[in-house]
Amino acid sequence: MASIIPRAWKRLRLSKTSGWVCNDCRRTFATSRVQRQQQPPASGQHESQDPKSTHFGFQTVTEELKAGRVANVFSSVASSYDTMNDLMSLGIHRLWKDHFVRSLNPGSRNSVEGQKILDIAGGTGDIAFRMLDHASNINHDNQTSVLVSDINPEMLGEGRKRFATSPYKAAGRVAFLEANAEDLSAINDSSIDLYTVAFGIRNFTYKQKALEEAYRVLKPGGVFACLEFTPQLRNPVMNAIYKRWSFGAIPLIGQVVAADRDSYQYLVESIERFPSQEEFAGMIRKAGFLLPGHGGEEEGMQGAWEDLTMGIAAIHKGVKPA
Amino acid sequence: MSTPLALRSILRAPAALRPLLLQQSSRALYHSYEHDAPPAYRDPENAILSSALAQVPTHGFTQEALTLGARDAGYLDISTNLFPKGPFEIVKYHLVTQRLGLKDRVQFPDDKTGVGKRVRSLVLERLRANVETGVLPQWQQALALMSLAENIPASLRELSALSDEIWFLAGDVSVDGSWYTKRASLAAVYAATEVYQTTDQSTEFRDTGLFLDRRLEEVRTVGGVVGSTIQWAGFQAGAVVNLMRSKGVKI
Ligand SMILES: C[S@@+](CC[C@H](N)C(=O)[O-])C[C@H]1O[C@@H](n2cnc3c(N)ncnc32)[C@H](O)[C@@H]1O
Repeated sequence: MASIIPRAWKRLRLSKTSGWVCNDCRRTFATSRVQRQQQPPASGQHESQDPKSTHFGFQTVTEELKAGRVANVFSSVASSYDTMNDLMSLGIHRLWKDHFVRSLNPGSRNSVEGQKILDIAGGTGDIAFRMLDHASNINHDNQTSVLVSDINPEMLGEGRKRFATSPYKAAGRVAFLEANAEDLSAINDSSIDLYTVAFGIRNFTYKQKALEEAYRVLKPGGVFACLEFTPQLRNPVMNAIYKRWSFGAIPLIGQVVAADRDSYQYLVESIERFPSQEEFAGMIRKAGFLLPGHGGEEEGMQGAWEDLTMGIAAIHKGVKPA
Repeated sequence: MSTPLALRSILRAPAALRPLLLQQSSRALYHSYEHDAPPAYRDPENAILSSALAQVPTHGFTQEALTLGARDAGYLDISTNLFPKGPFEIVKYHLVTQRLGLKDRVQFPDDKTGVGKRVRSLVLERLRANVETGVLPQWQQALALMSLAENIPASLRELSALSDEIWFLAGDVSVDGSWYTKRASLAAVYAATEVYQTTDQSTEFRDTGLFLDRRLEEVRTVGGVVGSTIQWAGFQAGAVVNLMRSKGVKI
């Protein structure tokens, strides 16, 4: 294991100067360690048996604390979370994001209004940029707009900065909203065509509540789409290897590159605690969505999600019935 | 036909067809007559895909037809994410609904019509559905979609389900060893004839009828799996090449 680190370290160093890494990696904003006052998590039904505690990675913490700690993690790794995504995805999360956006095919030909897209946990606007590019270049739709929402104002600040000089900003096709995904009261019922969340939902305290909010804000016929790491690879051997990589090497690398072992440890563990593809598809259905792919009896839930790269990550979709 | 011969046929068949010939799954999961068969499509899927199919004569088997279908059914453009396989889902919808509708298209008044004759009229009746729904001029596009690697398993599954349905409606209820061969032979005959139909210029598709007769005769005489499948593969390739050329690809 130890021998991996110098190599990974070298790779990271190299990648910081080579061209294929996106701008996020060069971000240099102050790591915030300030304990932010969090709004208490949305009240209501939730699935945890013990209402007082939730998991922060494998550490059990009280729910009020979790939102705060999650925000902290993302403040503390904000500047290097892209590195984290690189490590967890073996460097291919950008390809997954491209595929995610292409498969959704946002934008609408010959339509006057365009689509309203809500990108939750949109952090730095990575997905939003791709959405707008696809809508404009592929579907020749210059109306479609994206509302980027994140619980963390610093993340959102990065997105603002990134869009500041873009034509999308000038055309009023992008806006930002600081909000907890579990409480989107700032957004009207049935007002959104497409709700996306990439590498975000595993951090939510009440995932089912977030799904219900997604259902509420979507128009009939609107689409929920999620790109997320999975807790288990399909192939047991590959899974064992990948687990050694993620639990063994990544927190160590986090210590080296960000001097922040705990945050990386949390990120790795939050993936482990995320529901399996089957379970998560079940949760989406429970929120009222139609699962794609002709969920007939003989085909089971096949088609309800798409595994990416040996199932390291998966795309889930749901359509709100009209 | 003896089992060894059937096995040899399988081994000599084009690789893409072997899974079909080998398919040992239970005999037709659901025949159209069964009341407890689950509905093939959920309501929203039915609504969108049937509207999309109505767009096919003008827009072909395309994403555009799917999107227009969604709009017609009161859904949004983005709702087509319900169909991960895109326009292939319209093809499959046509295959499934026409297979399930076949029993209502044909009546055999007397018991004297032989199984062979019944199979013939069932195949022709099924092919007529391609004409009546107006999809025939676009069918080469459907064949091209069906022959994409990711769609081959579903296409073959649907083809053997149709074969089962035809044998069943023709009154063949044998469950002996010849059954797998029969299923495969008829599937191959049907596929070849359907490809032929897309190029048929004769009035009332007379040539398609004659083509079908020759294929059925082959099956009777030499256990035509090999002959027909090779021809089918040939026609399939030809159809795809023609389509690509019509789209400006140089092959
Ligand atoms: C790993 S980043 C993903 C960013 C971006 N979507 C991407 O794919 O690059 C996870 C984001 O989720 C946000 N987040 C965590 N919990 C949240 C919550 N309850 N509501 C909204 N956003 C949340 C974090 O602030 C962080 O920006």
